Amino acid sequence: MNRPARSFRLPAFAALALVAASGAAQAATPRDALVMAWNLDALITFDPAQIGEVNGNDIIVGNVCSTLVNYDPKDVSHMLPSAAESWSVSPDGLTLTLKLRADLKFPDGHAATAADAAWSLQRVLQLGFFGAATLTQWGFTKDHALEQIRATDDHTLVLTLDKPYPVDLLLSAIFAQNVATILDRDAGTKNAKTTEGRSDYGNAFFKTAPICVGPYHVSRWDANDVVVLERNDIYFGPKPKMRRIILRHVPESSAERLLLEKGDIDIARLLSPEDLKALEANKDIHIEQTLMQSLSYVAMNTDDPILANPKVREALRYLIDYDGLAKTVLQYQGQPRASLVPEGAFAALDHTEGEPFTLDLAKAKQLITEAGYPDGFSKKMILSANSTSPAIAQHIASNAAKIGIKIDLEQMADSNLFTRGRNRDFQLQLVGWGATYPDADSMVSRHATNPDKRTEAKLTGYPVWRTGWQNLDINAKADAARLERDPARRTAIYRDIQIFMMHNGPIAYFAQTIRPIAWRTMVKDFSVGPFTVDYGSASK
Amino acid sequence: MRLSRVARGAGSVLATMLGLLALTFFMGRMLPNDPVIAVIGDHADQATYDMVYHQLGLDKPLTTQFLLYLGAMLRGDFGNALFTGHRVASDLARAFPATIELATIAIVIGVGLGVPLGVAAAVFRNSPIDYLARCLGLIGASAPTFWLGIMGLMVFYASLGWVAGPGRLDVSFIDSIEPHTGFLLIDALIEGDMDVFWNAVDHIILPASILAAGSMATISRLTRSFMLEQLSQEYIVTARAKGLSKWAVIRRHAFRNILVQLVTIIALAYAFLLEGAVLTETVFAWPGFGRYLTAGLLAGDMNAVLACVLIVGVIFIGLNMVADLLYTWLDPRTR
Repeated sequence: MNRPARSFRLPAFAALALVAASGAAQAATPRDALVMAWNLDALITFDPAQIGEVNGNDIIVGNVCSTLVNYDPKDVSHMLPSAAESWSVSPDGLTLTLKLRADLKFPDGHAATAADAAWSLQRVLQLGFFGAATLTQWGFTKDHALEQIRATDDHTLVLTLDKPYPVDLLLSAIFAQNVATILDRDAGTKNAKTTEGRSDYGNAFFKTAPICVGPYHVSRWDANDVVVLERNDIYFGPKPKMRRIILRHVPESSAERLLLEKGDIDIARLLSPEDLKALEANKDIHIEQTLMQSLSYVAMNTDDPILANPKVREALRYLIDYDGLAKTVLQYQGQPRASLVPEGAFAALDHTEGEPFTLDLAKAKQLITEAGYPDGFSKKMILSANSTSPAIAQHIASNAAKIGIKIDLEQMADSNLFTRGRNRDFQLQLVGWGATYPDADSMVSRHATNPDKRTEAKLTGYPVWRTGWQNLDINAKADAARLERDPARRTAIYRDIQIFMMHNGPIAYFAQTIRPIAWRTMVKDFSVGPFTVDYGSASK
Repeated sequence: MRLSRVARGAGSVLATMLGLLALTFFMGRMLPNDPVIAVIGDHADQATYDMVYHQLGLDKPLTTQFLLYLGAMLRGDFGNALFTGHRVASDLARAFPATIELATIAIVIGVGLGVPLGVAAAVFRNSPIDYLARCLGLIGASAPTFWLGIMGLMVFYASLGWVAGPGRLDVSFIDSIEPHTGFLLIDALIEGDMDVFWNAVDHIILPASILAAGSMATISRLTRSFMLEQLSQEYIVTARAKGLSKWAVIRRHAFRNILVQLVTIIALAYAFLLEGAVLTETVFAWPGFGRYLTAGLLAGDMNAVLACVLIVGVIFIGLNMVADLLYTWLDPRTR
């Protein structure tokens, strides 16, 4: 990387401090590097089998580790080849064969094969981290991983399925995900550590230095400071235009904005609405708003006898000013959405049909009267102490108070909020959830399907279980949709589920997340999708 | 005699450290944040939760967890930080020098400005200098660090361009020098790379000045107060009556007599800067110790928190010992 020409400033600031003269770099990022600022607090691992948070996913998936297939950036419900150049399914629908490209190589130049790909998938099951659910929900198990996931030659990966799932659904739900990347089996085996008789399959090694097939490789990661990626020149796909990607940890929005305005970074990843508004007038800055596959909602615990009443739950939906929130508290951050399937996913209701509610206090009052609570009731809502949740909760509580419902608010740290939700220890919970693949199945399988409503079942990964709600008819419809291979019929089933859940379900959705990213206009072709951000396409 | 005093001192230090660690550990475990959720997130199923819960040793009794941690620590193993994924020792090897560098420059600024200002305010009591010193002291003590940091960046970085922005170096200099000590200024000098040195100076000067504001305020106000007390003593009048000049009396008599007190507050101010720089570190994206400790606490990451607490304890004890040594040097009566 070229160093900037040294320049000397006349720091009048020196009157306050130590130096009489200071040399400094010009405010410009290197020509061959893309420099981003982001809050990297959540980053804890680069191991694709372990990644479960936004930072790691963004950096690794598609940038350091190419997935076997890709989402079409123009339509994420459509799949494109990537490390796998083609795929086919057996007539009975129980065998999926992925043909890998012949030119796959790790950054050190040695060939990556289907055996590496199979090992990478098998270790996800063996490790049992968050990513394992990506496979187990489709019938893959730790005990049968070796038979279910096989490399039959250097370029052929064969998956044995327990049921004949629609192939597009599987590609989207598994093979475009972080778990379906190709790690170096030799490096993983060589660096594996064994504790209590269990191998970590190279997890401790890969978590800071993943060796993957991808356009970049990690050359440096100083926790809470900086991540540097270097271009992999033998990457099978289009050569990335930027030689280096530098992600600087800048946790404060105002500081990010100043760095962007001065040209010390190219892209700001986490700006507050106030800072985004201030940047709107700057001609050198472009603000991109991407509709994500995440929803914000109020979960209602039906173990509570009042909230078990569907009319009460529907009344709560009329206490929210969906458009008002989107224009104020959620400006740059969310758009109205009441359906459990985010807009943009396969089989999602359209924008209008997916948001039929408006703020209607009279209707809400009528519903709680019909439910037998004409004088209202009292409930407690738990919420995050982040920058937006308190304002949203106050908005709902204030509208509720107008029809006699008293909602007390309790703010807490996110980890406590999640724990309370997973323990069913709440009445109302203001929280969010992101779909993991752009298909109605992703949300329906967790937010509508509840295989076992009993507390002792501990299905804590199912937000609908946390509410204690279950509808066996919805379970059956969701199961049928998952196996329906005709897209039109699948869409019809999901439509019924969405409409039913919007009026009867235990979760009141009110916004779909928007991710704003600001960059200097000199940056071209920075491709931002709801699941992946393609660093390699960017130039400047 | 001397040996038993040393042994008693060492025993007292060990007991203090053990108590500090135990208190932190058990209080940390009482916090409602769940370290497992910090690792696996909200989406994970119960099997994953249970597995990580076991891996972190949280299924063991609290006392066993604590003893296991102590045992590992005695072997020099601080474990992994859950919230960074790195070894705690390697995290601290980066974070701690970053903060020492920042806090040392801040204390130099704080003392360099605060002490002369306090002396001048006392000598010229109720003059414009005194008003200025009191006014600066009030601003330094009461202005929120976060706000001062943002304002400083907007004025001196964004508008005037006199200093560099957040971070320890411009991105162009990343990977420019080998980290010999972790102190960028020293490493740059070791490597003889003056471009990096001046760039690091450019980056550190504003956060160090912002961080110095609070200690400067404290030091100047206390210096003024100590000096006023000395200047009202009879020996000062005697010294003047003997024909010494005003500044000679101030320098040789009054100021020398406040040095012991000054050393105490400077040592305390320095220790506070080392572990209390979290807001400055946040605004200036400074990968330091204060932010590391805070993030560890919020994530319920006891490996990271206990290692930090140990370091803070050592800092306080170490600075107290240095202050004690300085007392005996500065004040013959204490020898």
